[in-house]
Amino acid sequence: MDPFESIKATFFQECEELLTDMESGLLAMEQGDDDSETINAVFRAVHSVKGGAGAFGLEELIRFAHVFETVLDEMRSGKLHLTDEVAKVLLRASDVLADHVAAARSGGSVDEGRTVGMIADLQGLIDQDRAAELGLNDDGDSAAVEEDFGFVPVVLSLDEPATDAPEVDVAALMAAAAEPVEVDEAAAPADAAPAWRVTFRPKAEMYAKANEAALVLRELARLGDVEVALDASAVPPLDQLSAEQAYLTWTIRLSGDKSEAEVREVFEFVEDDCDLEVTREGEAAAEVAEPPLAADDDASASAVEAAAAAPLDLDALLARVSAPAAEPATPAAPAPAPIAAAPPPAAPPPAQDPASMDVAGLIALAEKASQDHAQTQSAPAKAEPKADQKAEARAAAGPATAATPTIRVDLDRVDRLINAVGELVIQQAMLSQRVFESGLARSSDVALGLEDLELLTREIQDSVMAIRAQPVKSVFQRMPRLVREVADMVGKKVRLVMDGENTEVDKTVIERLSDPITHMLRNAIDHGLETPDEREAGGKGIEGTVRLAALHRGGRIVIEVADDGRGINRPRVRGIAVSKGLIAEDAVLSDDEIDNLIFLPGFSTADVVSDISGRGVGMDVVKRSIQALGGRISITSEPGKGSKFSMSLPLTLAVLDGMVVSAADQTLVAPLSNIVESLTPRAEDVHLIGGRDAVICIRDTFVPLIDVGVALGFRDTPLPPASGVAVLVESEGGGKAALLVEAIQGQRQVVIKSLEANYQHIHGVAAATILGDGRVALILDVDALVTTSRRKAPRIEKRMAV
Amino acid sequence: MTDADANIAEVSLCPVLDLQAAEPLRAELMALRGRPLQIDASQVSRMGGLCLQVLLSARMSWAEDGLPLRIEQASDGFLEQLAAFGGPQINFEPEGAHL
Repeated sequence: MDPFESIKATFFQECEELLTDMESGLLAMEQGDDDSETINAVFRAVHSVKGGAGAFGLEELIRFAHVFETVLDEMRSGKLHLTDEVAKVLLRASDVLADHVAAARSGGSVDEGRTVGMIADLQGLIDQDRAAELGLNDDGDSAAVEEDFGFVPVVLSLDEPATDAPEVDVAALMAAAAEPVEVDEAAAPADAAPAWRVTFRPKAEMYAKANEAALVLRELARLGDVEVALDASAVPPLDQLSAEQAYLTWTIRLSGDKSEAEVREVFEFVEDDCDLEVTREGEAAAEVAEPPLAADDDASASAVEAAAAAPLDLDALLARVSAPAAEPATPAAPAPAPIAAAPPPAAPPPAQDPASMDVAGLIALAEKASQDHAQTQSAPAKAEPKADQKAEARAAAGPATAATPTIRVDLDRVDRLINAVGELVIQQAMLSQRVFESGLARSSDVALGLEDLELLTREIQDSVMAIRAQPVKSVFQRMPRLVREVADMVGKKVRLVMDGENTEVDKTVIERLSDPITHMLRNAIDHGLETPDEREAGGKGIEGTVRLAALHRGGRIVIEVADDGRGINRPRVRGIAVSKGLIAEDAVLSDDEIDNLIFLPGFSTADVVSDISGRGVGMDVVKRSIQALGGRISITSEPGKGSKFSMSLPLTLAVLDGMVVSAADQTLVAPLSNIVESLTPRAEDVHLIGGRDAVICIRDTFVPLIDVGVALGFRDTPLPPASGVAVLVESEGGGKAALLVEAIQGQRQVVIKSLEANYQHIHGVAAATILGDGRVALILDVDALVTTSRRKAPRIEKRMAV
Repeated sequence: MTDADANIAEVSLCPVLDLQAAEPLRAELMALRGRPLQIDASQVSRMGGLCLQVLLSARMSWAEDGLPLRIEQASDGFLEQLAAFGGPQINFEPEGAHL
């Protein structure tokens, strides 16, 4: 790939993460979290998107992000207060921003009307509040706009080993240094000054994080007219140069009426990795010669040393102040002293007694330097201690982003690995079987070695699976937007509560979760929740709640979508089911069973509980897609209180712990997670209900007895119960049944081979596997078997009548 | 400077002078030290701060050696970026020398 394109691809990947961060921040804000850190996080995300967009010239994205960012900045500075309305607008803006990113990524276009409307909405937020709070400068965070500037003397202690280190009043020193050349500016009122001086000194870390000085400068140039001066004096000759070290310092004079916050914004995500000073032109500060040259005199070195020990980043300033500025017009003249650009902790000053330098000497040097500057008319640089302190404070307050090292790997490679491990597991099973068949003693070395191999194989498999495991967050994060849009469409007020976003599940499962969840959420909002009026009449809050949760349960992942709406109208559901011939008219169904009727194929959602028509996809489709994943879906509902859909899915689609059983000469595998117990049925425990449906009495409860051989069509005559083994299984919906098989062979881990991919879906069969002897065995879909035995009652009757 | 003329080294800058390009560029230029240098910047579309440093450092080294260093056929992107960086001087002509 073209390197530029690959950078761009990385940008979009980062955008996805940023948008997620932004959204979670905004959702927190919607919940009333107006913590400045949250707002900052959202701001940073939007700003980073904008910054990256700037690098790729994505003008529309920049334009929108800029407006968005401006509003967020108003919030950061406390000028705009977080209200429910503001949060909603911001959330919608985040959707539009995501659209812009998507459009930029695919090269498509965005809905211009929506963008314009959104920009208007955003601007509406600012104008109102600005009007109301104009002139207030109630800064909530450290990125405060320093409009009421007056310099504060800072005591700089030169606490080097020297005993009588003098105290230097830096501000005064700088004022003194500035005075000879900058009298007019210094005397001017600070807030009337039209320009900013920005001193920007990137550190190596900044480049290492793929941030680019060029982009920052370009971004700055967007704010107004800039005059950029480069100080390359710290650049060493080529043989001493480390290509990834940073040596340059820029001084930018920016004219225009931007606030300090706006200027600092540009540096938002490089600020921890650069030295940055932003001062108003005219503030008292040291005007120094540009560029300084070889600072090889004692005073300079000791000044640097002194400053390095001080909390303020004044080393470069002092070094420059004291530099004898021999050839100011030649920026790149030989300057073998790297001290000016080195950050304070890394400054390598020669050992010098700081006491040998006095303030007067410094000032004299500063004046000399300033005069040189005046003669040469080079661009000036300027230091402002407060700015630095603020930057430090902000850096300290910022979130510690100690990233764990990660690599991005093509999914293909992981898939190949998983496949290979799957084959390894099969091969290992086959080998075990061969060894066993060869009649080797269990305690033989070969057998013991095989056991170790099995453990190892298992471990490899688990590790490989863990590689693919990902939090469901990537699916969940798309849902808030969906909920907002559906809610808008149907005119309901909905709050989405998400839980367990970090629950991990195999990537293949995640990819296929999106559709069912989307559908269930739509269903919950469309059919489940009432309109605001109805809710109010029913004594509920007008805002409905939809809860989306993910959790691990019994080696599976369970996704729940619950609403607090009206619940399922059971008499109607039942009526429809009867009228469509899905159940017998006299069928006795529990509430739970009635609720689950909506998953039957042919059960039209349009007629169920709401007049708002479904979207062409019935719940049966949802159910099928979940079953295709080896999952199950069930519903519980309470009239007037709401409904809850739970779908349970295997954590991985690649392996399964199963019980190998045989029925009608076939070898079958029952998923271990379904199995409760196994028993040998006694003839007297088995009863036939209505002369056809066998049930078995297990500890005083009756459960259906399903003859697997018959249910799957391997054989027509039922097995006499007493001659087989009953395996008690539990379906996801909680329904129990006993599967009657001829024998249990044992427990084994099997590698799942999809039947659908290789053949087609068969009811009652979830997948297939290859056994140790190389034969194919079918994996039972226990849930399908259990539910079939329950609701197929009328059909079985028909079949038997034929 | 006829000896030097015969010995002119030429370097063509790659289109994207970013973080990754800095060290290779430095190494490339280092290898040519001691010879007059012509740098072809016609392909450059983007240049970052690190490569600028390398070029400035090279200029310094060449100046130390009293050898000329010159940017040739600078692309618009290169010139634009150089201007955004504050327009530092990269070309170096020793007094009385001609490349």
